[in-house]
Amino acid sequence: MSAQAPLVNIRNLVKHFGSVAAVDDVSLQVGEGEFLTFLGSSGSGKTTTLFIVAGFEDPTAGDVEIDGRSVLSVKPNERNIGMVFQRYTLFPHMTVAQNVGFPLMVRRRSKAEIDKAVKEMLDLVQLGAYAGRKPSELSGGQQQRVALARALVYKPRILLMDEPLAALDKRLREDIQQEIRRIHRELGVTILYVTHDQEEALRMSDRIAVFSHGKIAQIGSGADLYERPADAFVAGFIGNSNFLQGSVVQSQQDQVAVRLDDGTVIRGNTRHPLAANARVRLMIRPERLALAPSNDQVDQSLDVTLSDTTYLGDMLQHEVVTAWQQRITVRTNDRAAASSAGNALKLHFASTDVMVFEDGNRATA
Amino acid sequence: MLLNLNRMGPGRYVLYGIGVLTALFLLLPVAFIAALSFGSSQWLQFPPPGWTLKWYAAIFNDPRWVESIWTSVKVAFTVMVLSIALGLPAAFALVRGKFPGRTLLHAFFISPMIVPVIILAIALYVFVLKFGLNGTFIAFVAAHLIVALPFSVICIVNSLEGFDESTEKAAIVCGATKAEAIFRVTLPAIRLGIFSAALFSFLASWDEVVLGIFMASPTLQTLPVRMWTTLRQDLTPVIASVSTLLIALTIVIMIITAFLRRRYAR
Repeated sequence: MSAQAPLVNIRNLVKHFGSVAAVDDVSLQVGEGEFLTFLGSSGSGKTTTLFIVAGFEDPTAGDVEIDGRSVLSVKPNERNIGMVFQRYTLFPHMTVAQNVGFPLMVRRRSKAEIDKAVKEMLDLVQLGAYAGRKPSELSGGQQQRVALARALVYKPRILLMDEPLAALDKRLREDIQQEIRRIHRELGVTILYVTHDQEEALRMSDRIAVFSHGKIAQIGSGADLYERPADAFVAGFIGNSNFLQGSVVQSQQDQVAVRLDDGTVIRGNTRHPLAANARVRLMIRPERLALAPSNDQVDQSLDVTLSDTTYLGDMLQHEVVTAWQQRITVRTNDRAAASSAGNALKLHFASTDVMVFEDGNRATA
Repeated sequence: MLLNLNRMGPGRYVLYGIGVLTALFLLLPVAFIAALSFGSSQWLQFPPPGWTLKWYAAIFNDPRWVESIWTSVKVAFTVMVLSIALGLPAAFALVRGKFPGRTLLHAFFISPMIVPVIILAIALYVFVLKFGLNGTFIAFVAAHLIVALPFSVICIVNSLEGFDESTEKAAIVCGATKAEAIFRVTLPAIRLGIFSAALFSFLASWDEVVLGIFMASPTLQTLPVRMWTTLRQDLTPVIASVSTLLIALTIVIMIITAFLRRRYAR
């Protein structure tokens, strides 16, 4: 994000529903033109945060600023924000063109101006030929594209999207994801996007805010979250991961040595200083693991037994079992490592690919 | 389809037979009345010895019949308007409201359909008498509104429940005020429900007779009440022609409804 003032500034936002804190002290800044995704499971507070920005919910505490001014007292129809909902929200009694023109009609624009803008927007979402149709004559994907056109026709600076593709099948979803990306590039509109699909978040966003229990667990680029997760929850939520238990032997700045339950000592990285003997979890991505014959001399390794191999086309996925019967997933395209089930192997990995977390977040992972 | 008519063999003629008999059972009384209304016999003889339109002429030559038709129309129309005016906000509260006792209130709104009409009629009669309103237009409207309102509430609640509130929110985000969103989006989207509510309310009042008898005075009678009192004095073919006119009106209304539904259902 650039040094200039953020377009959207969410400060210490809290929202209680009865005694439940749906949003619990959320702060984040969104830069002009940024594509920021709120990623989390249902009930994590991501949608509630979005609805507070839209103006449909009032926060219990905290503030939402747009362009440096608090918008909490501004009614949702006066915030000039675009929004696409999870469910199909086209006005059923209006044609596609009337739907897209609606925001301009309530703004009392001239008919000529509305017609021109509607045509532009329908061309943008590639539905120019459907102007005269009723929503019930469109597929789900087409309806969401019309909803997108309707949300953009009045040129809002901020577009909110609440799981707009959740109801669509996978192929269609990927098509429209690309289309949303293209429109984001062409218009430069700032997008706040809510999803529970980590793949969708990684594919589309400049930055991702991972929500958990009403708080932001971590905010950063996809690479940040994947390579340098803040805690075991984020590590488990983004991408595939293997977790091992152990306790700290010694810790020096971000370097840490951990003794596993069978006595093996493994070196890894940590973001926070760890006390000696603290219980920790080690996380290694399946594709950062390699297999070697058991008699190989390698720097850092673990003795395992191969239990199963799955052919995935571009990759092989091996299931291996440690001496204490924990299953570990290995993904590799090294065909030479192929071996038959039951064989003893060595699992090796670089200490930079081992991430060590305090064992406090087990319940949430 | 599991049950394919063409693959049932001779068995389907049994089904045809049942269908025809059911239709006859439902339609014969109507056809019978219609036939009698054109019959020349003063004693409702069947089959009619000859054909005539004089019973229809008798209706329109008798100011009491014309007046009661006009009363019925006025009452039913007023009931229809009030039933929507009250049913619409009530439906919004019942569907969108978040307050304790909401289901109970819903049940309460429907209760006039369950309470026997005669009990309603007696209770209303006592009430109306106490305020000296018996035999007035207001009393008719109030009584019929009680039986019409449940239809209105049910129709509008159903259509409002089928309408996703996100759509109204979308209109507001688009820049519409809450009132604009409701008038330009929500109400047009549920217009079929409102239309049905209006129709049922009108018909609930139009063919209501029990409450009408209790509310009527010699000078103010709805058509069903007039038919009832006439019947008690003598059995004249005029009743048959009034009935036939009522049936014709109902058929016309149903055709218009079907036409509008087809046109706006999309």
